[in-house]
Amino acid sequence: MAELTQDQEVKTAIEAAEAFVTSYYPALNRLSGLKDLSTFYVKNDPSSPLKPDISLNGNLITDTTELETVFERQPAKTHYEVLSFDCHTLNSNYNVGAPNDLLEMNKLGKKMSILVMVSGSVRYGEGGETKGFTDNVVLVPNWELFGKSPKNNLKKKWLVQTQKLRVVF
Amino acid sequence: MLERASPAPRGPRNSSPSIRGGGRGGIQKRRGGAGPVRVDKDGDLVMDPTTAGEKRRSGRGQIEGNAPSRGSGRGRGGPSRNASAGVLKAQQAIMRGIGAKQANVLESRITAPGSQLQVDGLNESKAASNPDGGLESLLAFLERKASALDSKSNRAIKIKKSLKKGDSVIITANPEDIAAIQKLDSFSFAGSVLRIQAYETQSPPTKGDKKDEPSPSAQETKERLKAVLASRYDGNLKLLNLSALAQDTGLREMGVFDGTTTTSKIFPALMVVCDSLFKNRQEKRDAIVSVTLADNDLADVADVTALAQTFPDLKNLDLSRNKIAQLSSLDAWGQKMKNLTTLLLTNNPIETQLATLKTDIMKRYPFLEYLNGVQVRTPEEVAAAIEIAKCPIPLAAPDFRDVGQVGENFIRQFIVLYDSNRPQLLATFYDAQSVHSISLSLTGPRDSKGPIPSWAPYIKHSRNLTRVTNLPTQMSRIHRGSQAIQLVWSTLPATRHPDIQTQADKYIIECNPLPGLVDPSGQSPRGVDGLIVTMHGEFEEQNDSTDQALRSFSRTFVLGPGGPGGPPIRVVSDMMTLRPWGTLALPRTLENTQPAANAINPEQQLQEALAIELGRLTGMTANYAAMCLTETRWDLEKALVVFNANKDKLPPDAFMAGANR
Repeated sequence: MAELTQDQEVKTAIEAAEAFVTSYYPALNRLSGLKDLSTFYVKNDPSSPLKPDISLNGNLITDTTELETVFERQPAKTHYEVLSFDCHTLNSNYNVGAPNDLLEMNKLGKKMSILVMVSGSVRYGEGGETKGFTDNVVLVPNWELFGKSPKNNLKKKWLVQTQKLRVVF
Repeated sequence: MLERASPAPRGPRNSSPSIRGGGRGGIQKRRGGAGPVRVDKDGDLVMDPTTAGEKRRSGRGQIEGNAPSRGSGRGRGGPSRNASAGVLKAQQAIMRGIGAKQANVLESRITAPGSQLQVDGLNESKAASNPDGGLESLLAFLERKASALDSKSNRAIKIKKSLKKGDSVIITANPEDIAAIQKLDSFSFAGSVLRIQAYETQSPPTKGDKKDEPSPSAQETKERLKAVLASRYDGNLKLLNLSALAQDTGLREMGVFDGTTTTSKIFPALMVVCDSLFKNRQEKRDAIVSVTLADNDLADVADVTALAQTFPDLKNLDLSRNKIAQLSSLDAWGQKMKNLTTLLLTNNPIETQLATLKTDIMKRYPFLEYLNGVQVRTPEEVAAAIEIAKCPIPLAAPDFRDVGQVGENFIRQFIVLYDSNRPQLLATFYDAQSVHSISLSLTGPRDSKGPIPSWAPYIKHSRNLTRVTNLPTQMSRIHRGSQAIQLVWSTLPATRHPDIQTQADKYIIECNPLPGLVDPSGQSPRGVDGLIVTMHGEFEEQNDSTDQALRSFSRTFVLGPGGPGGPPIRVVSDMMTLRPWGTLALPRTLENTQPAANAINPEQQLQEALAIELGRLTGMTANYAAMCLTETRWDLEKALVVFNANKDKLPPDAFMAGANR
């Protein structure tokens, strides 16, 4: 079987990170975006070993509906802005929650776990002071998209398994 | 459950004794009084073994003692620091009518000189054929180029406003940005040479029809308005009394209320003069906490919109005895006076609907405590609202869910070794598969303290992917294996991190288990468990300069079990983001969320003012006046009615000695 090249690994990881960064924070900036927030995360499915692990400013968030409640407390015109991000592949053949027939390495890097570190600013409401935040997320493959028909195209390829967001300034 | 029981990473075999010596304490779970949910959240970072026990017993979260209080400084509870000095100054300024350097405050307020530039040449450029005439691309060009020219300051130049005026574009920006943009004069833009010069407003707007009246000079007007303000200011109560302006003898003498001139004309002028008496917002906030606009016949606040601009931090506002009929009558103030804690609307048509409007009013004024003398929020609720407004997601103690103290031990060693012996650090925790990169995040907020030391040693390594967009650079700035990492680290400046035992408040360290890492032994196809550790903090850079060079950083490590022949715990990933230095936002401790006990209560101030006024009108003692006002919900007019109805029944001691009954 063809191996995943380092070029391909880096490229795929960056594409995944970029897709996350350019859609997630804009979603936080819109009240309407908050409804879709749960679609960014792995599902809390009791039958799967894959669990979301989310911590916002040290508060452990147990499920994605609670997450919406937390972000809904933000004043109107809250604005998150990404100022830098970087990413590393943690495991190029990630298999937690993978179907049994999918344990082989994917040479396009579709089965990786990826650490994304984001640094940005956030202003809570008009006239609020600008704060700095650091976010760390681990993206993992959305297993629902593997071996399924193309109608799943709308779904996200990568989902957040771990998130550690912290206002740092 | 995972397919394979997690081989929890073992503790390092050969930790240096100095680090392990601390023994207990350190990063570990707290199992304290809090409920079961809290247990997981409370990471505790008490490193000093001699004090750890004590602090623990005090039952609070991590980071004790000298954590700088970043709490309720802004927008709450009235002034406490330097207040008296500020008030004194403001009073003196009002009394003496001095303090303004410009001849005409009214006019100087209208345009801030030196904040506008005229840019010519857009019309001759190729961009002129864009749908918007090229304006957007011109502005983007100016911002980009000016920022690049000014790269030393790491500051993004922003154009605030732009206006096409004939063939020219007039732009507005901060004075320092203006200076930077002006340097682009004669730069070429889309085939055209730009001409950039200071923009002078030809004729500053004059005060309209003033000219054809035999009115006193602007200077004299100003002095008279100052006198009016001085007579209406109560320094003890920090109250500016703007009630019944139409009856003001000072203003009447000026002839402002005869004929056409009304509140709508004089009020903005009053506000401008008032504003000019204060050097800054803080001073104003300290000097004027309460304003009364009672008895001004206001059907809405259109005539007095300037109040909100002038006093955005106002705490107490009395609008009693006006003609305000609905909440929308206050719309002209917009969201500006958000910090109001007391609002009096007694004897306005709106009063009858207050019960139904209460929710909307509370929404509009999120920190409102008293509406018409009725408490609508408790001080605790207000304090909570303020905290939420500052940061809607409460800053909790670090979420530190370690496994077998692996994260704690790693961090302790990392901090010491990164400063003192990077090769040893690499040998202890990194292997041939460890990945490291650095990114710079330079444009975020920071504490504005002096210049930022040069980023030069880091720039060539920065893998900030918002900027580094080509694959070869993206590849070359990720470093794989201890050897490659050592090459980078050897070029980076030496550092000194704060001692984690004595300066725990300089760090926030969080950690939790992370599944699905590569199993270096190759036994588990589903991967093994590890830890993700994030550390936010600062370090001091050792460089040639004598200035202290502080950097803020966030650094994330993914740790997993090591492979055969390698370190027992390996760094899978080590990613660092560097930022300009800023004080770390620490979790809120109990002290920070409690309002200062000795803070002046603004509500009380307003009530005292009303009691004094009632006493003056009736001759009652302050105590009886207060009693009377309490019964009438602090409505002065009703209190007078009650007083007149009952004055014969009052005991003699209800009146001040010598009062004229």
